[in-house]
Amino acid sequence: MLISLVLAAGVAVSAVLIGIGFATALAIGWHGSLIGAAPASGAPTTDFGNLPARLAHLEPLALTQLGLLTLLATPVARVAASVVGFATEGDHLYVAITFAVLVVLLASLFVLR
Amino acid sequence: MTPGADLAIFAVSAAAGLLGALAGVGGGILVIPVLTFGFGVDIHLAAGASIVSVIATSSGAAAAYVRDRMTDMRVGMFLELATTTGAVCGALLAAVASPAFLYLLLGSVLLLSAGSQVGRLGEEVPPEVTPSALASRLRLVSSYPDQKLGREVPYSARRIPLGFVLMWIAGLVSGLLGIGSGVLKVLAMDGAMRLPMKVSSATSNFMIGVTAAASAGIYLSRGDVDPQIAAPVALGVLTGAIVGARLLGRVSNRTIRLVFLPVLVAVGLETIGRGLGLAL
Repeated sequence: MLISLVLAAGVAVSAVLIGIGFATALAIGWHGSLIGAAPASGAPTTDFGNLPARLAHLEPLALTQLGLLTLLATPVARVAASVVGFATEGDHLYVAITFAVLVVLLASLFVLR
Repeated sequence: MTPGADLAIFAVSAAAGLLGALAGVGGGILVIPVLTFGFGVDIHLAAGASIVSVIATSSGAAAAYVRDRMTDMRVGMFLELATTTGAVCGALLAAVASPAFLYLLLGSVLLLSAGSQVGRLGEEVPPEVTPSALASRLRLVSSYPDQKLGREVPYSARRIPLGFVLMWIAGLVSGLLGIGSGVLKVLAMDGAMRLPMKVSSATSNFMIGVTAAASAGIYLSRGDVDPQIAAPVALGVLTGAIVGARLLGRVSNRTIRLVFLPVLVAVGLETIGRGLGLAL
């Protein structure tokens, strides 16, 4: 089942990232680096910007933030997987309904700010 | 946060995840007051942590539910149409409507519906009915495997237009007030559409995650999601929700209702308290 797979993967990946990020933050601080590089920035922990560069430093904060983003994206991925699921069942009515939900969801994520 | 405080937040979040996975709600009722009053967390950061908590409850529980076919995806998607459009209308109305009156109205409705919940305590599964033409056409006719009863329980959605309107209102209210959408969803599916309690709870759990994800972007861009608080909350809630979802299959529908009832009353009282201007 595609939907179960998407869910399990989303939950597992986010839990591992948040777990590692949080545990290492307790040890070396949120803005430290697991590869010993100098701290990338002293930006507030609520700042999700510049994520790729901070991930490359293996910053505990960046790992945790990536985990949280994965968690927050999981329901959206689940709805997208459901569109595929209903399509393989040949249920055109629910492909349309689920697709409409997905459009409203993406619109409110990216347009309604 | 000290490690001791982190551990306490993790423990409370695990309890919220367990409760949320059983009752079909998000756990914000537990997470927000504990963070603000217990740990002095800023209300905006607490609300950001609550959004994370709702999505963690939904996804953590769902990993077990979908496998056990407890979540009705058709019911969920069909009703999500109503909820999302209602939520958009609620967000647009928020500037003009009077929140105090709405809080009092919603709180009263929730407390009144507690009575009908007590009345249904003796009913393990809804009586079987011939599916209506609309239910058949929308394919809202299904069954779920009940481990406790040891059999497959068939059901079909009743009063679909009423359920759809109630779900639209649930979306409107959560868009306006940001409270109680999980409770309203369970009430609409269980009370109006007469779906089995476990299916109502599991499907509500699925839906609150989708609805919360829609507003997550706003919280992120406002800087309301602080990993220092959201991380222990997410880890705790995921743990509690996974355990709760496994329990849901094994306990009776009556037990789920007994868990849901105090949550319903607590949300009702908190909502009325907000309407009266009390800082609850």
